[in-house]
Amino acid sequence: MAESVSAQTPSLSEQYHLEKEVKPVEVQAEEVEAKEDSPPEEAVEDKSESPASTEVTSEEAPAAATEEENTTEDVAEETPDEIKLETAPADFRFPTTNQTRHCFTRYIEYHRCVAAKGDDAPECDKFSKFYRSLCPGEWVDRWNEQRENGTFPGPL
Amino acid sequence: MKTIVLKWLFLTISPCDAAEPWQLGSQDAATPIMQGIIDLHHDIFFFLILILVFVLWILVRALWHFHYKENAIPQRIVHGTTIEILRTIFPSLISMFIAIPSFALLYSMDEVVVDPAITIKAIGHQWYRTYEYSDYNSSDEQSLTFDSYMIPEEDLELGQSRLLEVDNRVVVPAKTHLRIIVTSADVPHSWAVPSSGVKCDAVPGRLNQISILVQREGVYYGQCSEICGTNHAFTPIVVEAVPRKDYGSRVSNQLIPQTGEA
Repeated sequence: MAESVSAQTPSLSEQYHLEKEVKPVEVQAEEVEAKEDSPPEEAVEDKSESPASTEVTSEEAPAAATEEENTTEDVAEETPDEIKLETAPADFRFPTTNQTRHCFTRYIEYHRCVAAKGDDAPECDKFSKFYRSLCPGEWVDRWNEQRENGTFPGPL
Repeated sequence: MKTIVLKWLFLTISPCDAAEPWQLGSQDAATPIMQGIIDLHHDIFFFLILILVFVLWILVRALWHFHYKENAIPQRIVHGTTIEILRTIFPSLISMFIAIPSFALLYSMDEVVVDPAITIKAIGHQWYRTYEYSDYNSSDEQSLTFDSYMIPEEDLELGQSRLLEVDNRVVVPAKTHLRIIVTSADVPHSWAVPSSGVKCDAVPGRLNQISILVQREGVYYGQCSEICGTNHAFTPIVVEAVPRKDYGSRVSNQLIPQTGEA
């Protein structure tokens, strides 16, 4: 599998990625890296001890800034697989190790959002990214089938 | 990939990120959690040696002084208030000195201070693993999913570890907060990487989250840690931490054939 990837990548990358679109995204990816490089290094030192509250607030600011940057990138670019290094944030409703309900809740939130605002509402994109990050693909496929059959066991 | 493994094998100072034969101590730490575990081990070991030496000394002394030829008539001591108080207070003090760093580590391991940058799903199967990197797709098709099988002994190349190598490794960016979601598709497994201080059970129907920060680049090996059938010993885990800049190109190189096929 790995060998076939390396043999095919040059030609497919030329077909799939346009040179013009790669450069501006790489610049913004570097900005994201520069912002996220310094806070994680600070967080590493404090992580083994009790975390300072100032660390949390300083982390929220760059994380929010990068999310705003990245959502505008999503609208501008049509190649969403450029690596932006963001994912579903830690949800305070689910602080424990078991994240099963977190995944389920995000899935339901997305479908409630779509039911309320229509299929292409941009507000629902964020929920869709969250549930796709958290939930295994098989679970999502199974739930989609259940929704189509009308047997989905959740408050949609 | 291979050059990194060979480089680490032949350098004089090579981090121990895989099980060594006759290994006595822990593997080298690659995350703050593992470093905390090793430090706690050292703290407890100090008190352990203190207690061991003290108990052995008292034991030898008692055997010597109560020998039937050395001292034919033993003393019959029944009470000793001072020593009884001391031998109650000292152990509780020692317990406190052990408990403080232990609880500090335990609760700090659970805290998620920083939002993770990426989420990787590790799904256990009989008898291989599937990894999903789904942060990047805009539809319900996975953007990057691959299976990770152990390389059988016949197919190993020189320098590779038996029963530890896999065909597709989990590529993660170093110095980045990761969230790894561990689950299983059939029977319970366990996702364990000792260098990272991670052992998380993969239970079907449940998503277990672990939060790690790999502090150095390298290749880290682990093995399935919950009996899952006949090939339980043959489902290893290999995590490859690459520099953040390289992570983007590695993942997009793997993304392209996937989306091309889908």
